[in-house]
Amino acid sequence: MSNSDQSHMKQDCSNKRECLEMLQLILDGEATYEQKEQFLKHHLDECLPCYKNYHLEMKIKELLKTKCCGGQAPSDLVEQIKNKIGAA
Amino acid sequence: MELEEAPKQHYSEEEKQNIFNNEFMPHIHSMYNFGYRLTLDQDDSKDLVQDTYLKAYRFIESFQKGTNAKAWLFRILKNSFINDYRKKSKEPSKVDYQEVETYYNSEEVDRQITPDLRVEALKDMIGDEISNALNALDVDFRTVIILCDLEGFKYDEMAKILDIPIGTVRSRLHRARNLLKEKLSEYAKQMGYKTT
Repeated sequence: MSNSDQSHMKQDCSNKRECLEMLQLILDGEATYEQKEQFLKHHLDECLPCYKNYHLEMKIKELLKTKCCGGQAPSDLVEQIKNKIGAA
Repeated sequence: MELEEAPKQHYSEEEKQNIFNNEFMPHIHSMYNFGYRLTLDQDDSKDLVQDTYLKAYRFIESFQKGTNAKAWLFRILKNSFINDYRKKSKEPSKVDYQEVETYYNSEEVDRQITPDLRVEALKDMIGDEISNALNALDVDFRTVIILCDLEGFKYDEMAKILDIPIGTVRSRLHRARNLLKEKLSEYAKQMGYKTT
């Protein structure tokens, strides 16, 4: 996250509730192209709380995916299921 | 689970085996992960996943070939968990189902817009912090994060898996994420990060 040009940004968001909802839609890939353009290209350039929130939420989402996924089912479970279905 | 609600398909034994092997089994690892995150126990998770697959096979003619097998399987697993496991648990569900309107009151919104957690602190959470924080959430909140963030389901798919309206998916997800952030900021404090 770049901290170089935050001085011109607003310290308080004037549209908090809508921004929190929009942030969630964008995070989850549920926003439209126009919504994304408006929020990511315009609003985040000028609003410090939303800029920080966006990067925080993205990081948490990324960490959840990398830290809590990817486990393998035990091979004996896979075998048991296949055996039971094969015998059904 | 309304396994019978879909128009019934007719499959030959060979087709059944094909669907099972090619459309159901590829999701076994995600299913196991889901089962484990719900039960927090490896043996319970194995039982739950096995039950789910046997049920899926028994009701395979309620599954329409080529539709979303993963969502269909997740829905069966979720319902089996509620019916078979959650009843056994003595702990009542603590989730208070506040809806969007009450949750987004101005005081809450003010607090949420400046969360008590920084990206820098997360970068040092390289161990089990994230996983533990997730597991510490009440199961209904944990579930929406698993479905959305771990498995990448869309809101409409989550609504079907959980049998709740999309608006409830969104508000529950929002609350779940705020609770998760609270847990993570507790860890951050323990790690010596200032959180103000």
